[in-house]
Amino acid sequence: MSETKECAIVGGGLAGLVGYATLRHRGVAPAEIDVFGTDADPAGQWRVRAAAIRQRRMRSESDGHCAPRTFPGLAVRASLRDKSPLPLVESWLDRYHPTVGEFLEHVEEVRAESGWDVSFRRCRVKRIRAVDGGFELDDLGRFRHVLVATGHPGLAFPPELEGDPRAVHSYQPHEYAERVEIVGAGMAAATEWLNALAAGSDVVSVRRREPERRPLNFPRQVFTRRGLAVYHDTRPDERRALLGRWSTPSYPAGRTWDEPIERARRAGRFRVTAELNGADQVVCATGFRRGYAHDPLLAALVAEHGLATTGSWIALDPDSTVGALTDGERTLALAGVAGQWAFPAADTLMGAKYAARGFLRRVMACRSR
Amino acid sequence: MSFTLRGRIESRLAAALAPLLAACGLAVVVTEWWPLALAGTMIGVGLAFDVILDRRLDYQPGWLALPLATAELAAIMAIVYVLGISAPLFVALAFFAGSWIFAQILTHALLPYLRLSYGDDGGELGRAGLAVAVLVVASLALFGGVALAMQPPTVRLSAGIHDGPLVLDRAQNLVGEPGAVVRGGIVVTADNVTIRNVTVVGGENGIEVDDAHNVTLDHVRISGAKLDGIHVRRSSVSIRNCLVHSPAGDYAQGIDISFGFDLAPSLVEDCTVVGGREGIVTHFAHARVSDNRVSGTSLRALTLTEMSMAVVEGNDVSDSLGVGIFCGDYSECDIDDNSVDGIRPDHASGDKTRMGFAILAHYGAKAVIGDNHVSNSPGGTDAVLGAEISAGE
Repeated sequence: MSETKECAIVGGGLAGLVGYATLRHRGVAPAEIDVFGTDADPAGQWRVRAAAIRQRRMRSESDGHCAPRTFPGLAVRASLRDKSPLPLVESWLDRYHPTVGEFLEHVEEVRAESGWDVSFRRCRVKRIRAVDGGFELDDLGRFRHVLVATGHPGLAFPPELEGDPRAVHSYQPHEYAERVEIVGAGMAAATEWLNALAAGSDVVSVRRREPERRPLNFPRQVFTRRGLAVYHDTRPDERRALLGRWSTPSYPAGRTWDEPIERARRAGRFRVTAELNGADQVVCATGFRRGYAHDPLLAALVAEHGLATTGSWIALDPDSTVGALTDGERTLALAGVAGQWAFPAADTLMGAKYAARGFLRRVMACRSR
Repeated sequence: MSFTLRGRIESRLAAALAPLLAACGLAVVVTEWWPLALAGTMIGVGLAFDVILDRRLDYQPGWLALPLATAELAAIMAIVYVLGISAPLFVALAFFAGSWIFAQILTHALLPYLRLSYGDDGGELGRAGLAVAVLVVASLALFGGVALAMQPPTVRLSAGIHDGPLVLDRAQNLVGEPGAVVRGGIVVTADNVTIRNVTVVGGENGIEVDDAHNVTLDHVRISGAKLDGIHVRRSSVSIRNCLVHSPAGDYAQGIDISFGFDLAPSLVEDCTVVGGREGIVTHFAHARVSDNRVSGTSLRALTLTEMSMAVVEGNDVSDSLGVGIFCGDYSECDIDDNSVDGIRPDHASGDKTRMGFAILAHYGAKAVIGDNHVSNSPGGTDAVLGAEISAGE
């Protein structure tokens, strides 16, 4: 029988990096961790998507970073770097949003400091099988503790636009035609409206509901211990309804968004319709596919181990672990969007940290046993 | 940041530990208990705020710390005032500000740095939180107990007339019951004496304080003393809410604080002084004279002289002969926000410096004059014999 290694992280994106950096912070050696992914750059996919929607600033505030410790956050680092108190003041007022460049630089730092490349193995894991005292990942070995951070299971297109040559997803690299129809009503859609207008296009916003205006996708309470306790106390059907409600498209309020759109509306360059209307280009700002069933690895995991699910979600314990496959000797935890059952904002960096810390606690508890 | 109640309390106590120990150290250095009382009040008010805010603030943005601190400070100041904790204002404010800044650094930087899940845990500190709480409570209990044990005894003066002079030659609190009167004066010669709610009638001096520190006279009423209503020599006193009624005569004065320049500043606050040659007078002393009402004096109402350093503010001076507020003989006086009305010229004296001056700087004194209201005083404000008057901010 092959040797059982300590930890595996399945998924080489930002959630994987956060999990890795958290383990390393508490002294788990690089040799004890294998990270499986398809791109050694943990920000690889994110970088492409951010560039596609021309994102310049992060939506999250100072705490949205990959370092295991909350402090110092990006605002402190920016203040020290620029020798200016302004980022700290903005952070104090909940108004600090680092630039994408600053964030990517920070990701590179965490990658280098944590030893990520030592542990990274380029391959896609297709199957996780529970065995005594751990898990087997394909034929890659046996691991006591596995953190699954496979990310979003692909881009979502409206069914009527599947295969339509005019359609491009907002998270795919694209330029803008003279007249663009943008489908969606969330952050990506709002960003696309401004991008297309700035590029000189006429914009038709195709949406079936008015967007909600919220500073963050989720209420602040669900980022807190007390709010989470309330969330964890909900019945499965209640929790499913809550997650559905919080998944409705939203983008922040503010003049930055409203003024350019209002100007374009007055100039006849921006209008809203409920249906597609034959434009040369259709940008689908419709986010990602939702649910474990779209992720082949998770779908197989559920099917083979008979895991409990509710709707599109795998039922998790409050610390993001899969209760049926976690005990005193082994841990299976889900980070990223798949972890929403435990932490609604699981696809944020704070969500990644939440899952990583829960995973770390399990690992350390096993090590001290 | 979002706190649980336990997290708020544990973080509060962790942040309070260093200031509490500093207060204990300060109490030892200055040999007074106010630092400990102040720290205890700050902790108590903070914990009360934590309980009140617990369910009202699910999420607490960083900027909210500032208005909350302001509200806490107001509550602390009110309690300090009500309990009569004799903390020097600026030191107390500096102590509060330092403690607040330390708490901000601790909860926004140090604890999140040291404790990976500090934010996730709503500010809770796990086992360390319990240890911190025990340490804070133990420190408060220990030092508070010592403070309590070392408090001077309280002597109750029953209603009725007691023949004086009473001599207080050891630390104590002399508290009069309603109707308690001492005839013939009280003499204080010990440190840490408080006299409260006592009426004194007659005597050479009404209350005499000699070579004593940290003496408090609170709500004392004095009348008919032959010399000074309150006579303070080489001592530091806090006199609050007193009533001194001096008889007419060549030697009677209201309150005289002298020869304590090298001691802690004395305070005369919210007293009513009627009659006598001089109402409140300092010689070679540090003093703060504020919010008093002085009237009916025959020489000067407020006198700060012989190299005194004094702050005179918020006083109401009226119906006096010669001079209202006098800063003389190389004294330095900060005279601000007083009301001076009805200072009559003393023509009979033939002294040109007594011609109804509301405020007079005399013989090398330096007076900084602020926003005073002067009326019915023909001499107005003036400086003579090398004295200077300048305008304050």
